[in-house]
Amino acid sequence: MISLDLFHDFVRGPLALSAFLIFFTGTAYQVLRFFYLSQKIKKTTHNPFRLSPTTAVCAPPVKSTARRISFFKGTIAGVHPVMTVITSLFHTCLIAAPLFLLGHNNLIDESWGISFFSLPEGITDIMTVMVIGCSLFFLFRRIFSPRVRSITTLSDYLILLLTAMPFITGFLAFHQTTAYKPMIILHMLSGEIMLILLPFTKLVHMLFFFINRFLIPHENSFGRGTRTWYFGGPKFSFKRWYFGKKKFDIDNW
Amino acid sequence: MKETTDTVDTGKIRTTLNKNKAQISLSLKLCVHCTLCAESCFLYMHREKDPVYMPSHKFINSLGRLYKKKGNIDRKGLEEIREVVWDRCVLCTRCYCPMGIDIPGMIALTRGICRDQGVLPQFDEE
Ligand code: SF4
Ligand code: SF4
Repeated sequence: MISLDLFHDFVRGPLALSAFLIFFTGTAYQVLRFFYLSQKIKKTTHNPFRLSPTTAVCAPPVKSTARRISFFKGTIAGVHPVMTVITSLFHTCLIAAPLFLLGHNNLIDESWGISFFSLPEGITDIMTVMVIGCSLFFLFRRIFSPRVRSITTLSDYLILLLTAMPFITGFLAFHQTTAYKPMIILHMLSGEIMLILLPFTKLVHMLFFFINRFLIPHENSFGRGTRTWYFGGPKFSFKRWYFGKKKFDIDNW
Repeated sequence: MKETTDTVDTGKIRTTLNKNKAQISLSLKLCVHCTLCAESCFLYMHREKDPVYMPSHKFINSLGRLYKKKGNIDRKGLEEIREVVWDRCVLCTRCYCPMGIDIPGMIALTRGICRDQGVLPQFDEE
């Protein structure tokens, strides 16, 4: 039976390092794979949905207040205002809270001698509560809304749990309501599992939200997309990418 | 009416799926089952908001089903998919997804797979 201290050191040391390594390599792999499986659009490609080459694809054609309002009503924010606010809050806090947490930054300072800017503890505490609250909202939505239930699978619940766990355990550990040591181990462990799984599960939408909305042109893209999927293109293999001549084909990238 | 055989060429389906594997698996993975796309489909809005008309429901139960079964499907299954991709979607391409998933593209691909197997919309029924 290994002692709690030994396990604590393992989770804090080698496991944390490998989690970060796997997270960054996995993310790099996904980005690389996207660039391999997509290609630059030729300038002449006709895109029927693009009204004007200088504006975003679906911008209102005539700029008047009435037009803008009717345009807004058709967007996701106009159709689902509550969901938009909650999901924006959730995702902002989800990323900002751990990044700007004083405790985390102190740890980084101890290990590498550098430190980021930190938010006051009161604010990160509220952010954590907000993440937990929004997760509960998503959970109830999944359980009680028939349309969401109709496409929900077990993995959706697991992913939600996986995302909320580091925040719940972190909150409990910070307020020391339960035994501190097991809780902090759980906190680190769940955070590490989340980081490891991020590039390979549904959580990869963190990456492809931006890729899909900014790099690929379609009706809902934010910017002027410049790339498109190779439909029926080659399979990605790291070997082929590294040794193939395509790597040096700068034009295509 | 065109004669159709009762067998399904699963090998051919698998070839088509493999050719587009990266996009299909990524789209299925990216769909976080949020149902924000529902209101963008006029069929959903006009069929009493029945969840089976949600764009995500349609592509998960057509291409998603084919992909999960790796193309191993019988004729009855294909006919159910035909109902999804022809009767519940008109490919107007007006649906939006916050993740930028190309749902009409997925449904068009499924239609292609069905056509390959001789499973076509039947206008003389109903
Ligand atoms: S909006 Fe997109 S991610 Fe959400 S359920 Fe529809 S297809 Fe899936
Ligand atoms: S393409 Fe199909 S799913 Fe999308 S809005 Fe049109 S009918 Fe609905």
